[in-house]
Amino acid sequence: MKIVVAYKWAADPQEATVAADGQVDFSRAKSAVSDYDAVAITVARHLGDTHGADVVGLTVGGPEVATGLATKAALSRGLDALMVVADPALTAAGSTGTAQALATALAGVDDIAVLITGDSSVDVGAKLVPAVVGGLLGWPVLTEVTAVAIEPGALVVERAVSGGTEQLRIDGPAVLAVATDAATVKAPGMKDVLAAAKKPVQQLPADPVVADGTLRSTARLSGPARRGIQISTDDPAAAAAELVSALRADGVLIGGQQ
Amino acid sequence: MNLIIVAGTASVANLVTTAAQLDGETLAVVVGSRAVAERIATSGVDKVIWFGEPGDRPLEAFAPAVAQAATAARPQVVLGGRRPAERVLLGAAAAALRAPALIDVKEVTSQAGTVMVTHGVNGGIAVTTREFSGPVALMVDGGGVAPVQGAAPIEETPAATLPMQVTAVQVTAVTEVDLAAAPRVVGAGRGLRAREDLSIIEALAAALEAELACTRPLAEGLDWLPRDRYLGVSGQHIAPRLYVAVGVSGQLQHLAGVRSAETIVAINSDPKAPVLAEADYALVGDLYELVPAITAALEQP
Amino acid sequence: MAPLTDEQRLVRDSVREFADAEVAPLAAQIDIEHRPPLETVPKLAELGLLGMIVPAEYGGSGTDTLSYIIAIEELARACATTAVMVEAHTSLATWPILAFGTAQQRDRWLPALATGEKLGAFALTEPGAGTDAGAVATTAVREGEEYVLNGQKVFITGGGYAEVFIVIARTSHEGAPHKGLSAFIVERDTPGFTVGEGERKLGIRASSTPPLMFSDVRIPAGALLGNEGDGFKIAMATLDGGRTGIAAQAVGIAQGALEASIAYAKQRVQFGKPIGAQQAIQWMLADMSTDIEAGRQLTYLAAGLEDSGEPFGEAAARAKLFCGQMASRVTGMAIQIHGGNGYTEAYPVERAYRDAKITEIYEGTNEVQRMIIAKSLLR
Repeated sequence: MKIVVAYKWAADPQEATVAADGQVDFSRAKSAVSDYDAVAITVARHLGDTHGADVVGLTVGGPEVATGLATKAALSRGLDALMVVADPALTAAGSTGTAQALATALAGVDDIAVLITGDSSVDVGAKLVPAVVGGLLGWPVLTEVTAVAIEPGALVVERAVSGGTEQLRIDGPAVLAVATDAATVKAPGMKDVLAAAKKPVQQLPADPVVADGTLRSTARLSGPARRGIQISTDDPAAAAAELVSALRADGVLIGGQQ
Repeated sequence: MNLIIVAGTASVANLVTTAAQLDGETLAVVVGSRAVAERIATSGVDKVIWFGEPGDRPLEAFAPAVAQAATAARPQVVLGGRRPAERVLLGAAAAALRAPALIDVKEVTSQAGTVMVTHGVNGGIAVTTREFSGPVALMVDGGGVAPVQGAAPIEETPAATLPMQVTAVQVTAVTEVDLAAAPRVVGAGRGLRAREDLSIIEALAAALEAELACTRPLAEGLDWLPRDRYLGVSGQHIAPRLYVAVGVSGQLQHLAGVRSAETIVAINSDPKAPVLAEADYALVGDLYELVPAITAALEQP
Repeated sequence: MAPLTDEQRLVRDSVREFADAEVAPLAAQIDIEHRPPLETVPKLAELGLLGMIVPAEYGGSGTDTLSYIIAIEELARACATTAVMVEAHTSLATWPILAFGTAQQRDRWLPALATGEKLGAFALTEPGAGTDAGAVATTAVREGEEYVLNGQKVFITGGGYAEVFIVIARTSHEGAPHKGLSAFIVERDTPGFTVGEGERKLGIRASSTPPLMFSDVRIPAGALLGNEGDGFKIAMATLDGGRTGIAAQAVGIAQGALEASIAYAKQRVQFGKPIGAQQAIQWMLADMSTDIEAGRQLTYLAAGLEDSGEPFGEAAARAKLFCGQMASRVTGMAIQIHGGNGYTEAYPVERAYRDAKITEIYEGTNEVQRMIIAKSLLR
């Protein structure tokens, strides 16, 4: 039995810069296992330990995802083995393209009990890849999963829903995107870092995937121009009165004109 | 032909208006109760496909039915909301059509088989415009319930569903918050020193008749507020008339989530907090003094 | 220097992730409270940071020296005290047992030290024996199958909580003073061994550095590390490695101060623009980063030489001499960039400035490092 974790090797947009023409520059941002995917790996590791299953990582992307640093970084977080699809054509793959590459790789793996993913990627944050992978494989998909157990032929899943939680039973393999707080992620231990180099990494060829249309233009995000009015706070009561009267004049308080 | 995906709720007015601006008719594929299907039928769409009552099946179990309907309809644009089941079903349609899928859509137009989409990228820090010749799946904030308009026929179609079943439900909180629909929102950030101190923010929100929201660390790291209340990144993007940021430093992603607010007020003790540069009214000072003072000022007649 | 290996880079990433989450949040408070962060010890142990250089057969992580040095650097970037806690435990207490211990001593002590079950400390300095280490006055007198220790040690890093002490004591008054010293492994709970109150310090205030008192402390003859008369040699070899660790601590302190300064320069607005737009600030940042990188390379060079089994004492002395002064320079400039704000406890550079100074003093002052380097040059 295998538990597969799909993860993304990605850079944090908080380290990216946006040029005047809206081009996002990631060149100074450092890539890592995407934050929430580390949660997914942790959940998968617990599940694997509980059921004596192998925990296999799967990532797709540009050539950088197959470097020793990238693969060892993922393996040191608790994976037993890794499958990598690295191809320049996947560098700019969108949600559907990424999902296609993942689904193709998974089609060649037997005995998968479950595919676990993170809530969303740090760089795109679409929360769509698990859904498209499930659609391509014909597997059930659930998101916001807080707990999972494997029973013979079935998965017992708990997920957060608006206003509470739900328990579900799923027959056969499924795609589960775990909630951001489904497990507490710990930094990889020193022994895990050293052990990563000894774990198997399988490189798979990439098939063509769909592109995200044709890029026509980019722009910086713009919103309403801000007025930038500083209100002196030396006297909090006076500051409060000044703010409230200004907001009232703007008509944005209760009863203000729409 | 364009397709909107409805899952469990008729609060999809933005999807209907977006679809109405596009070339071709609008087909609504409804997963959920008959009541939802009937409400959608009077929202201004041209046709409704409904798969029957879900019973103990989660809405996500209807992914193959949605995929089948999408394949049969051959839509140019598929629109879906950002709630969890809506995302899963939108993904199923994208998979069936091998269609690119985009989030944070700001503008979409179609003409003569070409679709132009403007959408936020990387958590909304920039926007790009892309052109599509084939089908495309787009995520759009659902918005409220559309006004009653027309009466489209409802076609009940037997559904192929996945083997999944809800076995138990625990209700922990009864209120469901819709930040996107709130005219006023107060956002709390790490400037708060303790969970109890949320009470002063809540008092301000009450005085403003505003919804309470927060930054990601408060919802995810600290668990001070439920996760449907955080703004930015993969959280929500809102465009209220007034947004008050209290003790929010203003990371790019959070700011992207609130930038469309009509008026922004920022209260922060740190004069170098980025949020102050993005505000209409900036108050540099101790939120523990300023927030109660503002609450008191609002309560004066 | 060769580029870092994947493993060394991942050690850096992992320790940084850990330090940002678990170490940095405590740093300001423990400094104010003059309190060692003992709650962090089990977490350091879980990550494998308390036995990095100890081979896996003894329960350690079995990393190379450079990985260990990188870990110290990353801890110091977040908290100089936490860094020196790990450094003194590893370089000064664990390493001499690894290098000079008998098979029996290694089996007995290394597993407990490597897993953090017990923390270690190194006791050389005395009121009358600082830089002049040969002047140690604490005595160890052989009586049958025991040694009896009498004397006092001061400024013992980790003294407040360590359970295993490497103690340098005099076993002979004949010949050159330093040739009469021996090293012993002493357990904290031995009768007659008491630990005093530490001084309040300028920097690394949270670090425990109390005096130790030995009053007829009887330890088994088997606690002797190496042979009688090896004490000075063991102490000096131990400090050689320790110096690379302190150099790394200095690099980390400076790096933290640089990062705080960059963030401040981007955000602090004066004359209508961020101060980072002023060339005066830009040049300071450029000089700080160059200074740090030079010190880092000297430090990594010393660690790399140790890893390849080559003599590294002189390289370690250069690294420590340079990095200690570098950290003082860089943290001083960091305060200058922060202006009045930097002089207050509200900004971390104030602590970095105080913490940096000790790296010019402990485990051999700047002057001792110069002596070592000059002695080698004029040999």
